[in-house]
Amino acid sequence: MKKHLLVILCMALSISLFAQEENNKHLAKLPAIEIQDLNGNPFNTKDIQNDGKPVIVSLWATWCKPCIAELLAIADEYEDWVEETGVKLYAVSIDDAKTSARVAPFVKGKNWEYTVLLDVNSDFKRAMNVNDVPYMCILNGNGEIVWQHTSYAPGSEEEVYEIIKSLVKK
Amino acid sequence: MNIKFIKRVLLASLLFLCGWNANAQHQFGNSRISGDFGFNGMYYIPDSIIGAEPVESKVRANAFLNLLYNNGGFSAGMRYEFYMFPLIDFEKIGYQGQGIKYFFADYTNKFIQVTAGNYYEQFGNGLTLRAYEDRQLGIDNSLLGARVRLTPYKGIYLKGVWGIERDNFEPYLGRHDFVRGADLELSLGEMFPVIQEKVFIARIGANIVSKYDRPDNYIRFPIGGANSDTMGIITLDKLPANVATWAARATFGYEGFRIDAEYARKMNDPNVTNNFIYKNGEALFLSATYSMKGFGIAASFIRSDNMEFRSDRWENQNSELMINCIPAINRQYSYQLLGDYSFASQPNSQIGAQVQVNYQIPKKSVLGGKYGTDITFNYSRFHNTDQQPVQEAIDNGTPTGTMGYTSQFFKFGPDLLYQDIGLEISHRFNNKKWKWILAYNYITYNLEILQGHEGMMRGHLVASDLSYKITPKHALRLELQHMYTKDDIGSSLYAMLEYSISPNWFISIGDDWNYGNPEPDHKVHYYNIACAYVWNTTRIALNFGKTKEGILCVGGVCRAVPASFGAGLSITTSF
Repeated sequence: MKKHLLVILCMALSISLFAQEENNKHLAKLPAIEIQDLNGNPFNTKDIQNDGKPVIVSLWATWCKPCIAELLAIADEYEDWVEETGVKLYAVSIDDAKTSARVAPFVKGKNWEYTVLLDVNSDFKRAMNVNDVPYMCILNGNGEIVWQHTSYAPGSEEEVYEIIKSLVKK
Repeated sequence: MNIKFIKRVLLASLLFLCGWNANAQHQFGNSRISGDFGFNGMYYIPDSIIGAEPVESKVRANAFLNLLYNNGGFSAGMRYEFYMFPLIDFEKIGYQGQGIKYFFADYTNKFIQVTAGNYYEQFGNGLTLRAYEDRQLGIDNSLLGARVRLTPYKGIYLKGVWGIERDNFEPYLGRHDFVRGADLELSLGEMFPVIQEKVFIARIGANIVSKYDRPDNYIRFPIGGANSDTMGIITLDKLPANVATWAARATFGYEGFRIDAEYARKMNDPNVTNNFIYKNGEALFLSATYSMKGFGIAASFIRSDNMEFRSDRWENQNSELMINCIPAINRQYSYQLLGDYSFASQPNSQIGAQVQVNYQIPKKSVLGGKYGTDITFNYSRFHNTDQQPVQEAIDNGTPTGTMGYTSQFFKFGPDLLYQDIGLEISHRFNNKKWKWILAYNYITYNLEILQGHEGMMRGHLVASDLSYKITPKHALRLELQHMYTKDDIGSSLYAMLEYSISPNWFISIGDDWNYGNPEPDHKVHYYNIACAYVWNTTRIALNFGKTKEGILCVGGVCRAVPASFGAGLSITTSF
């Protein structure tokens, strides 16, 4: 029995290590998944784009404290970021039927300027292979995922901004 | 070939596949393979005082691997789960086994989506159908079968499903039950551009879901009290093999206003959770929200009566074989000391409402400071539904086999289930280095109905969450919570200090001290030390400490958490 667990554990470690090898030749794009906009109208995730400028995609939920901390921290800088780089942030909420109706008042109450989308059945989350929120990824002007990250530690928004600035310079 | 050998081959090939896939290639032309992996293991140490019983195997783990293949409109995927020696929480709810219990192939274009295999689906708010997964809770109610989604005309959305619901690791073979349903949604804004131009939101929808469950056991029950010799019988032909539910819903919005409403009804469904009564079930969900810059208010109402809807009429454990999901609409908290007093949705008997107000004191004002101050106020209250037994049930001394009871629709029942009054203030100080969240909650929680213990729990919680950014990358966070109560296990004090180095390191130490426990030797320190390393999408975490016996809730769906003591390792990654 312990052998089994050991095998699984080794598998976990090897995948974790290999998974992080950067593969710049073939950058992945976002999957095309039917989710909803804040008004409940259908929205396909292939339409997440920003006219050749970088995009930030954040997966979050109203019940997730670190997600909110991260989006709040970016909200303070967002105006400057947009002005200097033209970046656009899509905040995809994974709130389900229980709390999804509260997303709009929540976002307005926080005064966020993000484009908020609803993934009420976690279809997008699954297609993105996301285990836990907060999850964030950055797309370059061609819609390719150049960076992704889970968890939030205060200050990591600086790294996000550095990457966006480097994308704009290219 | 024995089973052990097959397992080994399977594991080895999976290992190879992942290593190869993750290492070498993500993409060949237009096709792409991606996936994610999770491992959650623990070494258990018995501790009689907190109630952590000695367990059969001390080393336990949950592990899974998802693989996904994509090529244009075509996708396919599978999940391998290894829960042979699962964490004790999962063993307690019967989530134990191993195998590929999730696999699918899917084709999507502009007009049609066809899925074969396992899939997750939700109609409307989920009052009639919600096949979903929550890995933390050990819920996976996916359907194995087929699904079609159609968009025949702009704004018209049709869905049809047929499938057998997953029952943990039990085989699908030999099952005598299945679920089928259809849902239609009309998005009037898309159909009639006039509506959209005027910024109106208008959508209506309706669905019907039916389950088939072949009756194979008649039901015998005593009439006239438990000691009576007279037995009543519900014969097989009196047990409905097909149970239908339907629901209708509408959403209307204009500028900041939005109203959602859904009503659902379930035809007679005698089952073990409703004492085998023949009454119809019904549920009503209403939600109204208004939002403008810096302000939002959300109010919702729910009433559900006799709405547990499962694939098997004899099932009553947790969310097993649950076809629908009646949402619990109370506010969900992440405070440690409130965790054990989260409201769990009661599909068979609940009526209540919730109001939440979000307000931001404007930036650059005296009270708001440079970055604004956020205030959230919340109130919710839930009762059971009013239930008056029918004459036949009174005469028989049991509701079984009768219409059960009558219920006035909008009348609150005599038992308060849950009440929450909460206020939360969050403020960022001008130099951006300090951030403070302060919260107060007064909770009333019905221990008897929600947890099976005696009495009511009334408690005051004060929580403070203070963050300090030492340098742009180094930060400290201190959480302090105090729950004051004379009920249940008494008052507790909680403190947690977290140190993070962005973006990789998290180290935390916390203690939940149950100092007010009425039994002197149960005034226990539930301490916990944790360390996590995050590298892009990989997270590796170690922890050591004690966990209090309690409940874990996600979205109003809860499961029991046994007390435990030990060291844990968790790894998650995606590629």
